Parts: sequence; structure tokens; C-alpha cells
Amino acid sequence: MSTGPPAVTGYDCTLDELMVVTFSRAMSNDTRAFNGAVSFIPVCGYGLARRTHAPDLVWAASSIAVDADPETIGSSTLSDELWGGATMLANSPFDFWTYAQGARYNTFAFRGAQMDACGNVNNSVIGPYESPKVRLPGGGGMADLGCMIPRIYLWSTTHNPRTFVERLDFRSGMGWGDGGDHRASLGMPGGPRLCITNLCVFDFEPASKRMRLASLHPGVSVDDVQAASGFDVLLPAGEVPATARPSAEELRILRTEVDPTGARLREF
Amino acid sequence: MTGLVSKQISLAEAAASVPDGATVALGGLSMNSAPMAFVRELVRADKRDLTLVTIVAGMCVDWLAAAGCASRVVAGLVSLEGFGLAPHFRHAAQSGKVKMEEYSEHLLICRLQAQARRLPFMPTVAGLGTDVPALHTASGALRVETDAVTGRPYVACTPLAVDVAVVHTHEADVAGNARVNPKLIWMDSEIVNAADRTIVTTERIAEGASFSAEPHRTTYPRFMVDAVCEAPRGAFPTSCFPDYGHHSGFFEDYLAACGSPADFADFFERRVVGPATWADFLAANGVQPAGGDGGEISS
Repeated sequence: MSTGPPAVTGYDCTLDELMVVTFSRAMSNDTRAFNGAVSFIPVCGYGLARRTHAPDLVWAASSIAVDADPETIGSSTLSDELWGGATMLANSPFDFWTYAQGARYNTFAFRGAQMDACGNVNNSVIGPYESPKVRLPGGGGMADLGCMIPRIYLWSTTHNPRTFVERLDFRSGMGWGDGGDHRASLGMPGGPRLCITNLCVFDFEPASKRMRLASLHPGVSVDDVQAASGFDVLLPAGEVPATARPSAEELRILRTEVDPTGARLREF
Repeated sequence: MTGLVSKQISLAEAAASVPDGATVALGGLSMNSAPMAFVRELVRADKRDLTLVTIVAGMCVDWLAAAGCASRVVAGLVSLEGFGLAPHFRHAAQSGKVKMEEYSEHLLICRLQAQARRLPFMPTVAGLGTDVPALHTASGALRVETDAVTGRPYVACTPLAVDVAVVHTHEADVAGNARVNPKLIWMDSEIVNAADRTIVTTERIAEGASFSAEPHRTTYPRFMVDAVCEAPRGAFPTSCFPDYGHHSGFFEDYLAACGSPADFADFFERRVVGPATWADFLAANGVQPAGGDGGEISS
């Protein structure tokens, strides 16, 4: 885990904490979420939101353990280590996939080895599909859930031109698809709302459905974000705000209650 | 009635019953409940040309890729999760020794359901708009279609034939009744229902009467199960909730050994393939088999 993520200038917190708090604030009291593999930032975000502004938020740990409230977060977000305090262990085929297809679960977060401006992701191959330079794990559930879940959140701790590309080598997971009304034309609900990175927060421009700079983390410039992105970054009208500062209470709860062992650092 | 004929066989006999070239579906999900004791015997039996069907898998596929047992992997995702990529699977897929036939989880579930229910296809919206369905258009396994009445697009998932499914359970009787305790969590029922034949590995052989005493807790009835193998702590190094968690130390040692072929050959022989029995394997990895009480085992 090397030296860990850097301190955020002027915010009394580190980058991982800023990302978790930003994710948490994007959740609401009617969020009904679950999580997949290697999803430490969202898992911390759900736990924090539930302890602050969204007490009724539903989180199914590993997509299985409804209302789990683990004392710590372990080495895997698909592990039974996370299931303490759950009120139900949902069965995958009968319960989980039905809740997902019916959008009873309304929130999912995923990341990919590559992400494009419309919030589609690649976790399958780098290079030509039949003779890849790198065979990645595969899309798993993201190809499914990207099509089913209305509120999609993306995150990345590696905001650079290799990750943020104009053209994916393979589209494993659906975001806004080709942009515009593509997603709606396929009958899919909602779509990606935010992409939270180690440099900034993107939202999606309503007409094109391409990433648009919503806020900059302290010390990061518009030019930095553009240089780290392999596509043209859309800008909002007027000044780009700074990503909001985490409160002392949010940081305390994250550090002492949600993730006291710092599992979130596994993503850095 | 729990049946008169015992279906209990050894792990080695179960592995021997799988011919080279077979399509073998493995249960569990990622770090959880994979039938590792059985997979180890496939490796020891030096199987060849297997097609593996695994919805979300990790270590089990990496062992079989390392040993050259598999030529095709039909899966949604293969990784060692928080520990990293599955190195032997990755290299075998990149070099073409193993063909990765990639689906998403739900596309694979739907193919298995179509097979289980003897339907021409199961529809789903999963994968629409992604590049995944196009991987399977030429073979005809998936078709993107539009419903003539509603105009809604869907993916038609055609049946996926499976020769044998192997799933890990907490308790089974010798007739083949089996239960996952507290309840089935992962997608194992989908592969069991699709397969021509099912092998159950189990933490404990239980009395048949225990199933009639608590019939609401039975996961697989004996007519769905063809063979039962006792394998205490049989999912090691993956978990078997709530009896034991995944064994982080094994994952870390395994990945550390993957740094050099010589180190890995030594590790694989000492810690995986070499031990003669499952009990010897557990001893070689410094863990105890589960006791009969199903109590918590620390890893």
C-alpha cells in the first residue's frame, strides 16, 4: 500500500477520504444499493451516508447481505467479512437478480480499467479482443447491472489518459452508451450520474451525455484534468467549483466507525 | 425416504468420473464456496481439454489453468478479487492456451436457465448496448432481438449444455440430499439445474433422518445429485460461510510464488498437488479440517 494517498491541500483529509465523502453526499435517503468486487470507495460511501444524512439508505453487502453493518471492512468487498449485522442474506438468482431487474435496487457503482466520456467501462481486455495485450477479469455483473440500474456512479483512483479514453478497447459495461438518447432507446432506466476521480468530479452533460467537469479537488486545475483525460472534457458555464470540503464529523465517522482499518486504501 | 443406494464416493473417484474434454461447471463465487477439494483432484488426475463454466471465479480456474487442464473458460469474471488478477488464467488466455468465452453474469445465468428449463431461450436486457452479445452472435449462443409486440429489445440466451456441475455444501446424506446452511446464497443452483450430472462436495456427511427432520432446509434433493464426496473445509482457500472465511494467507503466498516459474512449481507441488489426501493438503497449508460441530474456524 506504499505511502498511501496524498493529503488534500487545505482540507485536513486525504484523497481517499475526500472521494468517500463526495460519494456519500451523492447518496440520498431513498438509495437502495449493493456492491461488487473491489469496491472499497462505494462501500465506505454507503456506510458513511447511512450514518449521516441518509439513515434509511439500503446497502446489500456483496449484493447479498441486506442492511449489513460490519465493524470493519476486510480485504474483499465480495466477502462474508462484510455481512455482520445483516437482516437478510439474499440469494443471488432468486432475490438479487430480481431486485436488480425490477430496479428495486436503484443504485450501483462500478469502475473499469478503461472508462469513456459517456461513462461506459471496459474490464475485459486491453488491446485487440482476440489477441489481447492484457486479459482482464471480465465485466462480471457490470454488463448486466449497467443496463438495469437507474442510478449509476463511477469512480476511479487512476485518472490518466490510459484509463480515461475516447474509445474503449471493449465495452464491458453500459453507461450512457453512444450518448444522446441511446440508453433510453434501449429501454434502460436512468444512467450514470457522477464519476468521482482522484482529480475531480464529473457529471454528464444532459444532451450529449458526455462527462462534464462538475468540481475540481483542491490543487487541481482544469488543464490538469484535460491533460489526464483522453477525451475532450466538457466545462460547465462559469467557474468550476472546488469539490466540497468534508466536515469534521464526516471524517470522524469514516475514520472511526465506517472504515477504522483503512480498507479503502486498497484502491490506491 | 432417502434412497437405498449410497452415492458417496471419494474425491479421486469423482474426478475420475469426469472425462477429458468434458464441460464442467464449478460453483461458488469469487472468494466464496468454490469446490476446491474436487478441483484439486482434477489437477492431480491431469485432466485435459476441460471446458469450465464458472459465473464468477478465481482460484479454482487459476489452478486448472496452471496445470493445463482447461482449454476453454466460459465465465463472467475471473480474478483473485482484492488480491489481484488470476495470473495463470491471465497468461493462458493471453497466449491462446485457454479460450476465454466471456459473458456477463446474468447472460450466463440466463443460458443456464434456458438449459435447465428446456426452453429455446431466456430473454434479458443484460448486455444490451455492450460489446458482449456480439462475441456470441456467430456461434448463435446469444441473439439480440426485438419483441414484436412491445418493440423492446432483449438478448435471447440459448441453452448452455453442461456435462457435470460441482458444488460445495455444508451437509449431505449418502443418498444425495444436500443442504447449504444457513441457505443458498450464490448461483450454484443454476449450474446444478442445468447440468446432466451433479457432484456435491460437503463439509459433513449427515444422517438421512436429519433431512426429513428439517425438510425446509434442504437445498438439493437426492434426485438432482449423482455423487457425494465428503470434504471437510473443502472450499479452502475460499470461504464456506459461516463455518470459515477465505484464507488470505494462501492467496498471498500463492501470488508471491507466481513471481517465478520455479517458485510456483515448488509451491504448487508442496501446497496444492503433492499432498496425497485432502487431509494432507490441509495439513500442508497449516489448517485443520472442520470439526463435526460446524463451529467457527479461525483462519
